[in-house]
Amino acid sequence: MMQKEISRRRFLQGSVALSVIGGSALAETHLLPSGKEPLSRIPESITTKTSTKQAQEVPFLCGICVNKCAGFARVEDGIITKLDPNPYFPKSRNMLCARGNAGIQTTYDPDRLKYPLVRIGKRGDGKYKRVSWEEAYDAILNGTRLFKGLKEILDEEKDNRSTIAYCNGEGLSKEGFESLMGEKIGTVNYVDEVSICLETVLGGYFATIGTYGEADLGHADYLVIAGANRAEAIITPDTLDLFKRSEGRGLKTIVLDPRFTNTAAKADRWYAVNPGTDLAFVLALTHVVLTEELYDKTFVASHAVGFESYKTHILSNKYTPEWAEKITNIPAGEIVRTAREFMAAEHPIYYQGRRSVFSKNDFQLRRAMAIFQGLSGNLNKKGGIIYGEPLKLPEEEISAPIYSQAKDRFDHEGVAILSQRAGSWMVFRDMVVEKKSPYRVRAMFMRKHNPVDSVPDTAKTIRFLEGMDLNVIIDILPSDSAMFADVILPEASYLEKTSPVTSYGLLEPAIVQRKAAIKPLYETKVPEQIYKELATVLSKPLFDISKKYDKDLQNEIKNRGEQAVYKEDGYILSDFWDKDVSEKNKERMVKAFGEKAWKILEEKGVYYPHIEQYHTQLNPNEYRYYPENRKKYHVQTDALKLICDYKHLAAKGVDPMPTWKEEYTFSVPEGQFRLITGRHAQFTQSATTNNMMLRDLIPTNYLWVNQRVARNRGIKFGDMLEVKSRAGKVTIKAYPTEKIAPNQVFMAHGFGSMNPEMTMSYGNGANDAILLEDIHEPVYGAAVMNETNVEIRKV
Amino acid sequence: MARYGMALDYKNCINCRACEVACKEENGVELGAEKHRIWVGSNNPDGEWPNLSLSSAVFLPSQCQHCEEAPCQEVCPTNATYYNDDGIVLVDSDKCILCTYCMNACPYDARYVDERTMTVDKCTFCSDTRLARGETTTACQATCPTKVRTFGDLDDPNSEISQLLENREHFSLKAHLGTKPKLFYLR
Repeated sequence: MMQKEISRRRFLQGSVALSVIGGSALAETHLLPSGKEPLSRIPESITTKTSTKQAQEVPFLCGICVNKCAGFARVEDGIITKLDPNPYFPKSRNMLCARGNAGIQTTYDPDRLKYPLVRIGKRGDGKYKRVSWEEAYDAILNGTRLFKGLKEILDEEKDNRSTIAYCNGEGLSKEGFESLMGEKIGTVNYVDEVSICLETVLGGYFATIGTYGEADLGHADYLVIAGANRAEAIITPDTLDLFKRSEGRGLKTIVLDPRFTNTAAKADRWYAVNPGTDLAFVLALTHVVLTEELYDKTFVASHAVGFESYKTHILSNKYTPEWAEKITNIPAGEIVRTAREFMAAEHPIYYQGRRSVFSKNDFQLRRAMAIFQGLSGNLNKKGGIIYGEPLKLPEEEISAPIYSQAKDRFDHEGVAILSQRAGSWMVFRDMVVEKKSPYRVRAMFMRKHNPVDSVPDTAKTIRFLEGMDLNVIIDILPSDSAMFADVILPEASYLEKTSPVTSYGLLEPAIVQRKAAIKPLYETKVPEQIYKELATVLSKPLFDISKKYDKDLQNEIKNRGEQAVYKEDGYILSDFWDKDVSEKNKERMVKAFGEKAWKILEEKGVYYPHIEQYHTQLNPNEYRYYPENRKKYHVQTDALKLICDYKHLAAKGVDPMPTWKEEYTFSVPEGQFRLITGRHAQFTQSATTNNMMLRDLIPTNYLWVNQRVARNRGIKFGDMLEVKSRAGKVTIKAYPTEKIAPNQVFMAHGFGSMNPEMTMSYGNGANDAILLEDIHEPVYGAAVMNETNVEIRKV
Repeated sequence: MARYGMALDYKNCINCRACEVACKEENGVELGAEKHRIWVGSNNPDGEWPNLSLSSAVFLPSQCQHCEEAPCQEVCPTNATYYNDDGIVLVDSDKCILCTYCMNACPYDARYVDERTMTVDKCTFCSDTRLARGETTTACQATCPTKVRTFGDLDDPNSEISQLLENREHFSLKAHLGTKPKLFYLR
C-alpha cells in the first residue's frame, strides 16, 4: 500500500516544528473578554480533544470545497474543538468528509495571512511590510513608490474601468465581490473558476435538455459514470447516494475512466477509455439504440427537436460499436451490451458529471450524453435527471453607476459563445500577455482564487501578473498567486464568518446559513467588511476621475447637481454594504418565509417549509427530509425538452449535432505520455495542501506510471522523475501502478507550492499547471486539461 | 452497563478517510501518518491494465475490535489495558510502561505509540469524549459520508446494531483466533 511506503520522519519533524509555532502563536494572541461576541483563541495543540463540558454548537456551512455541506462547530472557550455533521441539510445528508473535518486546521493554520501586507521588495521575492488596514487601502488607491495605485491608473486610462480586471473562485461571498468590482467599480473584465472547470457540462446540458438537473442516484437502477470520480471527487448528495447502492445493491454501475480510480473499484464494470474519446462511446451507444429502436418513442415524439435529422446523422456517419472500439479502447460487444442494458433499465442515468474540461470536444460530448439520456425518457421523474424546484430568496437590489468610458470585454478570440458573466480565463490571459487586447489591462484583483496554480501554463499566468501595474489579493493563505501581489488583504476563514444565506437543491430544496463559530483571528476580516471598507476609501477619488472624463456624468451633474448624482446614481460604492450580512440574511429570510423560519434557520442552520413536521430520524445514521409525496421528482416545466439538432449553434460555427472529428483521436507520440490530472478525496486543489491534518492522509502527489513501463525504465516507487512538456517541467516522485495505461501518466492537481510561506506544502510534489499547455476548447474558451503530452526521465 | 460493538456496512466504504480525521479531531489524537486509531485497509487490484480485477480492490475500514477475549489485555504486565464496564478495551496511560507487548499481541495491529505521552494508544469507542457527554454515536460513525458504521449495545435486542446483526449476514476478522471481536462486517 502506498501509505505504508512513505517515510514517517518528515511528519514527525513537521509536528515538532509546528507545535513550537503553535505555542508562540498562543502567547501573541489577545484574549478577548467574554461577553456577547464569540471568543477566539488559538489552541495549544494541533488536535484538541473534545471535553465533556458544555460547549456552543454553532451551525456552519463548510467552505473547504464547492459542496457546502452543513455542520455544527463545537466551540469550547473560544476554540473550535470539533466539526460535526448537521442532520438537517438534505444535500449533505448528515455527514462531513475528511476535508470537512479537517477544516479546523485551515482556521488554525500557522501560515495564515494574519495582517494586511504591502510589497516592499520585488514581485515574487516575498518581501512585504505589515501595515494597518487603512494603509493597505491607501496603497490600493494611491500606490507606493514601488507600484501605481488605482487613481493614477484610472486617470491615465481616462476612466476606462475595464482596465481593472478581477477574479474570484467559487464561494458564498463571491457575488459580493462581483458587486464590488463589476457593478460598483464598473469593470467588465471578470474571470472565475467556471472557464477552468465545468463550463461545457453546464452549457451542453442546458442547451440540450434545458437544465443541468440533479441525478437521482437514490432511486436510479443503472448508472454510466464517465470521467466523474465520485469516490474521490465527492459531490453531495451524489456520492452519498451512489455508494450505498453500488456493488449489487440496486444501482448497477458502469465506470469509464482512463485510470482505475476508487470509483472504478466500486463498479460492476470498468472501461479504461482512451482519454478524450468518451464522445465516440456515446455516439456508438446512440447508434445501437437507434438501430435497434430501443429508445422511449413516446417521450421522443413529445419532447425531441430534430430527432429525425439526428438519427440520420448518427446512422449515416456509421458511428457503430465497431467504429468506436478502435477509438475508445472499449470492445464493441461491451458497447452494445451497455446500450441495451441502459435502455432496458427502469431508471437509467448517464451521469452528467461536473469536472474540468478534459478535451476540446467536451461541449459536444455533453450534448451527446444529454441526448442519450433523453432517448431513455428518464428525465423529470423519480430515478432520473431531476428538474425540481429550488427555494427562492429575494434578490438584493444594487445601485450601480453607469460608466460611459468603460470598454467592453474582448476575450472572444477563437471562442464561439463567450459567457457574459465571466469570460474565458485562458483567452483573456493570453490576449493580455500577447498584447492583443484593444486596451491595456493594468490592475488585477484576486480573491479566493489561485490562478498561478489553477490556470494551465503557470509561466504564462506569471507573465500576466507581472505585466500588471497593480495586483491585489484577498485570501486566507499565502498562495502562489499572492507572491505576485502588491497588496495582500487577509480574509477570515469560513469558520470565522457569517455568510449570505443561500438556497440549495432541486429535489429536496433547503435554505442554509453559515454562522461565525468564532471571531476572526489576528487582524483578518470578513469579506463583506473588506468590500465595504475598500469601497468607502475608493468612492470619492474614483468619482472624481469619472467626473473628469465621463461626458454623460458631466451632463447629469450639470442637470441635477453633483451631490445628487453622487448619492443617487450609485457612486457611493459602499452603500451596498450599509447593512451587515446577518442583518441582510434576516431581512431576506423574513421577507420570503417569515419570522419563524428565520428562528429555525438561526438555530439549525437549515430551513425549508414544514421542516419541523417533515424532518424525522430513520435510524442512527439517516434522516428523512421530505416525505416521498413532497419531493420534487416531477414538476411542470417548460424547460423539459430534448434538442437533438441545435441549428442555432451552426450560426456560431459550432456543430449543431455532436460529430466525431478525426482530430479528436487519441494518440501519443512514441516515447511520450499523455498527462491526465485529477483528484483524491483528501484535498481540494491547492487550497488545502497546507492543511496539517490532510497532509497526514495525502502527503504529496505522485506521478502514476504504468508498472511495466516503470520496470523497463528502472523506475521504482519514490524515485524522482523529471516530467517535461512544451509548457514547462517539474520533478515529482514515481508511483508505478497497473491502474494506468502504458502511454499515460497521472498526477493529482494542486501540489507543488512555490511560496515558502506555505511551510507544509512548499516544494512538496509538483504543480500540473506548470506542465499543462494553453489549450482551450472552441465553444466557451474553457481550458482543456488532458491534451498535453509529456516526457519523463529518472533524475 | 452495556456491551458495545460496531457493525460495518463495509461495501459502502469509498476510502475517503473522513472517519480517521473525525477520530483525530474528536479525540485529540497525535498527528502523523501512522498515528491513527482508525484506518481503511486497501489493496491494489490484481491483474494488468486494462484487465484489472474489480473484486480484488476492496476497502476495509477498521479499528480496535474491542475483543471479548483480548490478547492485548492478557499480555499486559501492569494491567494498563483493561475492559471497562461497557466491555470497551481501554489503556490506562498512567499504568502503561511501553513494553509494547500489547502491540505485538494484537492480531489487528490496532495500537500505536503516542509520542507525546510515550504510552500506547488505541480506539476508545469515544468513551471519554462523546459517550461521556451522553452522545450515542462515535465520531467515525457520525461523520461517515456513506454511513458505514452502526455503533450500539449488543445486549439490547432492540438496538439498531442488534437488529442489523439479526437480519443480515456478517463476519468478523480473524475469527479463528477466538478473540471474539466486537466489530462485525455486514455482507
